[in-house]
Amino acid sequence: MAHDDELAQMQRLSNDYVPEDTGPLVGERQSTTELTAEYANGDPIYRTKTAALPRKYAFYRRCRGDGHCGWRAIAFSYFETLIRVADVGKLDVEQVRLKSMQNLLNAAGHSDDIVGDFAEETFGLMQELAILMTTPNSDPCEHLLRNFNDYSRSMAIVTHFKLLASAWIQAHPDDYLPFVLDYPDLKSYCEENFERAVCEIDHVGVAALSEAVVKPAGFALEVLYLDRSPGDEINHTYRAEPLAQEGFPITNPPTLRLLYRPGHYDVLYRAEDFPVVIPPQAPIQVALVGQTGRYDPGAIAAPIHDYSDLLLSIPGAKMWEAQPTYDFNLNPSPPPQVVPVSSYAPVPTPAPPPAEPIHDFVPPPHAPQVNSHPAPRHHSIQLEQPVALPVHPPPPMSLERGLPMTIERTEPFRPSAYTLEPGFGANQMHALPFQTSIFRNSHYNTAHFLNPDFQPEEWSPGAEYATSNRGRHKSASQ
Amino acid sequence: MSTGAKKRILREYAECQNDPLPGVKINFDEQNMTKWEILMDGPDQSVYAGGHYKLEINFPNEYPFKPPVVSFKTKIYHPNVSNDDKGSMCLGLLRPEEWKPPNKVISVLHLIRNLLIEPNPDDAIELSIANDYKTNRAEFDKTAKDWVKRYAK
Repeated sequence: MAHDDELAQMQRLSNDYVPEDTGPLVGERQSTTELTAEYANGDPIYRTKTAALPRKYAFYRRCRGDGHCGWRAIAFSYFETLIRVADVGKLDVEQVRLKSMQNLLNAAGHSDDIVGDFAEETFGLMQELAILMTTPNSDPCEHLLRNFNDYSRSMAIVTHFKLLASAWIQAHPDDYLPFVLDYPDLKSYCEENFERAVCEIDHVGVAALSEAVVKPAGFALEVLYLDRSPGDEINHTYRAEPLAQEGFPITNPPTLRLLYRPGHYDVLYRAEDFPVVIPPQAPIQVALVGQTGRYDPGAIAAPIHDYSDLLLSIPGAKMWEAQPTYDFNLNPSPPPQVVPVSSYAPVPTPAPPPAEPIHDFVPPPHAPQVNSHPAPRHHSIQLEQPVALPVHPPPPMSLERGLPMTIERTEPFRPSAYTLEPGFGANQMHALPFQTSIFRNSHYNTAHFLNPDFQPEEWSPGAEYATSNRGRHKSASQ
Repeated sequence: MSTGAKKRILREYAECQNDPLPGVKINFDEQNMTKWEILMDGPDQSVYAGGHYKLEINFPNEYPFKPPVVSFKTKIYHPNVSNDDKGSMCLGLLRPEEWKPPNKVISVLHLIRNLLIEPNPDDAIELSIANDYKTNRAEFDKTAKDWVKRYAK
């Protein structure tokens, strides 16, 4: 009995639950790592899925969960995609097309005068965006976001889209009637599920809206589910592909993506949806390019070069360039001025070595780190626990950058840089006759009788001395 | 309130003026267009015949995305009107979850008039009056007419 009461109580609570109805109607674009963080202490399935999310889908945009999130998310990303394709003509075409759908609305019983109010806002926004897109130094995206956060305009556009979906369904009964159970006809279904002021979008609504609005615009619509179903990634559950006039699918259409969590829709993006935004982000890119260019590629800095390339390929890092205002830095503390903790007697360093971006996950653009060149053991220490020290002015790099390298080379017996760091001074390593027993006994060894270039091993005093070099190396490091 | 909403309210008022419902008069104040004062006569075929009812329609800031709020300022013995100082009527399309943005005020006025002619006891706000209406119609009619004389003349 108590159990039943408890269940009833829980049911009641769940029925009365009103999702949090705060925040902007459409939020700023943010990194999906925030979702990862949000679920970090949650259900393991969510944790795995959100952890994998940023790799494919770098950004998302929260929509307010006020019962219109799905409609609004589609409407917003429809407009945003129109901006993204950067074709003012397309906006005009879409305006004409949506206006021509007024017939459909009339047929569904919506008179011009009332629907006109809502449609006017859609067309007004399209015109404003078209003007902004041709105006230099303007930000149509910002305008779009602002307007979608204006309650009455946002709701008017959402209502217009809802009515379009409703009219579309009623105009295509054969396609939708099979999905509509429990209702005497499509009209009552649409009235209840589409036209009401408060009605969340259902899958029929998503399909109808994508048929009526998204696909004819040449856009694809994708809905990705984040739920407790087994798997390592969020799953595609819905995709609408636009067709060209000849009936063939359009390859690589601009795609609207929605992230669905049970009961809620947000807008989702891939990182490559925003390639255009990167160029103006001069400061950071310049810093990175400058750093890679600073090193002599053939010299010891080769691995460093690789690192910075790698950094660029991390979606998070890209996103940082695109949106410098977001603090997505994984390391929330100010860029540390790192000086290694010496684990043994300090090595006389001739000068503060130049900045290197390798050790920090995201390199701070202008604050160089003081870094220990000679001892690779320091690397591990730095990675684990950066020690913050007072900020020093950056060393004059142009003068000093060559210095550490030459010093490295003049002290060949310094322990580990060559041995521990892969590729470090690789040239010299190749010179060493470095053999494993496996190699020695294989036919790849020219000393093996099966090798086509068989050359029996001969004792030579030169080789003897070369190998003994290694021995000396070892003893020196001890 | 947005200019779009104001425009719409103005247009709806004009529409109500062009196509007036019998026995309905609207006092519209352009300075305060979100509050309409309605004078509605009890429909002849109903128990409320002969009564004059004062109503208020208030438009929320979010209109037309949220429904207008209807309240009876004159007391009325009716299962769908709350029997308190608010006199609120909230059913059918007036419910926030059932309201559709394309709905018009004129359909709200129609709804009110139809409810005076034929109350909806299954969706009642005053359960005792609804019960009266369903089980003891004569008694209901008598009380309703009595209230008309007492409050609505």
